[in-house]
Amino acid sequence: MKSRFIVTPILCTGCRTCELACSFTHAKDGKVGRSRIYPLAGGFKDLYVPVVCLQCEDPACVKSCLVDAIHFNENTGAYEINPEICVRCMACVAACPFGCSLFDPQQNLVIKCDLCGGDPACAHFCPTKALTYKPIAV
Amino acid sequence: MITVTINGKLVRAKEGEMLLAVLRREKIDIPALCHHEAVEPYGACRLCMVEITRKEWDGWKNMVTSCLYPVADGLIIQTHTTDLIELRKTILDLYLARCPNTPEIQDLAAQYGVNQTSYEQVADPNDCILCGLCTRICDRMGFSAISAVNRGHGREIAPPLKNAPPDCVGCLACALNCPTNYIKFKDIGYTREIWGRKFELLRDAKTGQPTITKEFAEYLSKHRNIPQDYFELNDESHRKETALNLGKIAIWSREVPQ
Repeated sequence: MKSRFIVTPILCTGCRTCELACSFTHAKDGKVGRSRIYPLAGGFKDLYVPVVCLQCEDPACVKSCLVDAIHFNENTGAYEINPEICVRCMACVAACPFGCSLFDPQQNLVIKCDLCGGDPACAHFCPTKALTYKPIAV
Repeated sequence: MITVTINGKLVRAKEGEMLLAVLRREKIDIPALCHHEAVEPYGACRLCMVEITRKEWDGWKNMVTSCLYPVADGLIIQTHTTDLIELRKTILDLYLARCPNTPEIQDLAAQYGVNQTSYEQVADPNDCILCGLCTRICDRMGFSAISAVNRGHGREIAPPLKNAPPDCVGCLACALNCPTNYIKFKDIGYTREIWGRKFELLRDAKTGQPTITKEFAEYLSKHRNIPQDYFELNDESHRKETALNLGKIAIWSREVPQ
């Protein structure tokens, strides 16, 4: 069984704890990383949606990468960018229709959600369980 | 799995892996300017040279570029002997004669105690060390817009006939990965200029922020099957759009009886 993010926007309060958890989990060399998850306004009153990479099948980021820097991790089910191979051409940033591949100017890296190696910190820290990560039948 | 000895320490490595990858994994500080994981190793900058020997070589040694040398069982590797430091000093000394005003080269040379070149400086110095990383990355991405031209003293990196390169899409991969920041580009408003060619940048339909060049987007949609309308918004607007769409679904699913 594959684990997936389950986003329940009705429960989200927009507290941005997931964003903090993500930034601190991806800190490197004493610099916090840019968050891979964005709780954004859902278009209705008091409705927030945590927008995060949902690891699509046949993703646009992998198709657009001209140097094959994005690999599928069999163990976690995440598409991960290898920062050593990435040439920062921004093709995936422009191509992702959900805007979940982004550029971190401080660490000078193109980043996307890597599911924290199979145990995403954002889901752990969500106080209202609007964002959970659990096995589901696909 | 094979075993090699690095500076007296036994280290496991994979068969066929390059020596530099093993050294980097062991967190040994080896300078390398022309190395990039996206492209094949090339051995241009010569700074990653290490000393190798084997038990059966009776004290004979060899100096090899670690980026190009596949590891083999029983290799004994030294990375910071007096000879190697002297060698790197000489190489950096030569680099300083060629690129005296390049901060990246100056910093690296200062680490090895070279502050001033002992050779004669070239007449009109620039920042290019001719490592060929830009041309290799351009080839790897499938554009091959630039290459090294001429030989000897006149060798330089240039587009064909030094005109605006017809195959360039303005992705900036060459400029952003140049170890000495030699390749210059200008992003002014919605135009980008690199290698003497002007590109028009696409703009986000909502905020007007510039994204990638029109040519690059056309290449990606033609060769990589990315629909052209994916490039109408930038990543931030795409996220906002996603949030609005998911919000609509959330409200709708609450109103529909389960």
